[in-house]
Amino acid sequence: MSSQKQDEAKTTIEDVLEKPSSRRKFLKGASIAAAAGSAAVAASYMSAADPASAGELKLRWQEYFKKNYRIMSQEEKDETVTRLERLAKMQDNVDVQIGNEPPVEKVLFGYAFNITRCEGFMECVTACVKENNLDRKTNTQYIRIFEMEPGQLDPSTGDGQYYHKVPVDDKFYMGAQCFHCEKAPCIKACPTKATWKEPDGIVVVDYNWCIGCRYCQAACPYYGRRFNWGKGEVPKEEITTKQHYLGNRKRPMGKMEKCTFCIQRTRKGKLPACVEACPTGSRVFGNLLDPDSEIRYVLKHKKVFRMKEEIGTQPKFWYFID
Amino acid sequence: MKTNSKFFILPIISVLLMFMLLRDGAVAVASEKSLLEEVKAVNEPFDSQSVKQVRPVTQKTVLAKEEYQGGTFRVLARKHAIERYKCSRCHLDKPVLVTQGLELTHGNVVINHGRKGDELGCIDCHHPDDRDYLEDKKGRKVDFDHSYQLCGQCHFRQKRDWLGGAHGKRVSNWAGDRVVYNCASCHNPHSPRFEKRFPATYSVPLN
Ligand code: SF4
Ligand code: SF4
Repeated sequence: MSSQKQDEAKTTIEDVLEKPSSRRKFLKGASIAAAAGSAAVAASYMSAADPASAGELKLRWQEYFKKNYRIMSQEEKDETVTRLERLAKMQDNVDVQIGNEPPVEKVLFGYAFNITRCEGFMECVTACVKENNLDRKTNTQYIRIFEMEPGQLDPSTGDGQYYHKVPVDDKFYMGAQCFHCEKAPCIKACPTKATWKEPDGIVVVDYNWCIGCRYCQAACPYYGRRFNWGKGEVPKEEITTKQHYLGNRKRPMGKMEKCTFCIQRTRKGKLPACVEACPTGSRVFGNLLDPDSEIRYVLKHKKVFRMKEEIGTQPKFWYFID
Repeated sequence: MKTNSKFFILPIISVLLMFMLLRDGAVAVASEKSLLEEVKAVNEPFDSQSVKQVRPVTQKTVLAKEEYQGGTFRVLARKHAIERYKCSRCHLDKPVLVTQGLELTHGNVVINHGRKGDELGCIDCHHPDDRDYLEDKKGRKVDFDHSYQLCGQCHFRQKRDWLGGAHGKRVSNWAGDRVVYNCASCHNPHSPRFEKRFPATYSVPLN
């Protein structure tokens, strides 16, 4: 990349981040149709068709005009999570705690998956759905387990929709989810800078800044991103109430979402829900910058490989064999 | 549906943008040092107590009689989870009617451990005289809470990986004190292979 091009790129980022109006400017520039789309989003957001109290309308109004999470001050972050908690109470009558824990210093999260051990039980998938409040109506899942023929290592050749007793003899199982690439093409694709990599390596989405254009999904070479077609319907008694702004909080309709390494858990030292649920211990998670961590042991002592290594996306998700 | 109309327009733009991205993507091929090399170069110890808000494991644990990376770690205790422990409550000095006792008390135990047709017997692992303990091949007593010492005799590769962190897993936390599952927390020692079963759910096509 030439330095001139780099400068250009930099200005665009600054434009988008610092001028609140440029998100709309982008849409205008891209196409009139898209601008119309954005208007529709705005209208739906502010729609007063349902009876809402003045207090709720005020909160929604303030929510609509907030900044991108990345340039919010700590005070603004605290304000928005408080607003969101109050809105959850008003709209759905649920008591949620939305955190905004910052990344832990000297931590870079990494993940390893043992393809010799996984037996395809998919308990990780159900745990993830529950933890991250995924839409039950469309059966959204961040994790996909592929049943693979021996010798194959590309999940696209496997069966991602099996339903029979597992493990099947002579098959093996391979999990895929967002790999939190160090050089993530999805981030470059986003026209509104609604998705980025946090210092602890987690690739996140600001659900309020996302316009639902799905460019990032098209750019992801893996099976990382999920588009939220619905309202995220979760039975009230099943809602995970410990949430994070960048994690499992309620997503507005028409936004992009994906695995966040359970940011609401892992920033507090807990394991992601999938790791905790895995009955075979195929999932290893930890701090890549800790030479004594389990993940580093795997990287040092096991034969590891990553999916589509050659395209240079540098996923922080390694497969390994015993 | 009042807002659905906007979704029709978006796929069209997506296709256009895809072209631009694919062209860009070709330039993004790795040139610098790989992530793996960078990661492996970090050798400064990390203070895993520095992560605030870690909740200590609530299950019962014991200090392992092995080392992890030169330090200590804990394993989930086992004895309290064994239904009929202490075994010496029945296995006293008084003789137990073996055939009947086996049917009545341990009839649920199915041994599916070892080579087919040549499965292990009770006293291959249980102490022949003191039933409150296991016994290793060298005749040493092994506490049920430390059964990894026994399993590791044959499954030494698994034990090595378990010690390092590539087999089994930690309990609840990646940070804080290291607590790991014991062998028998996950495996039924009498039939250690996981049984075949239906997956917990199924997947629909990707959107
Ligand atoms: S796996 Fe896909 S969504 Fe996740 S960081 Fe990589 S490119 Fe982005
Ligand atoms: S759909 Fe993806 S590319 Fe589009 S705004 Fe949202 S995060 Fe960015």
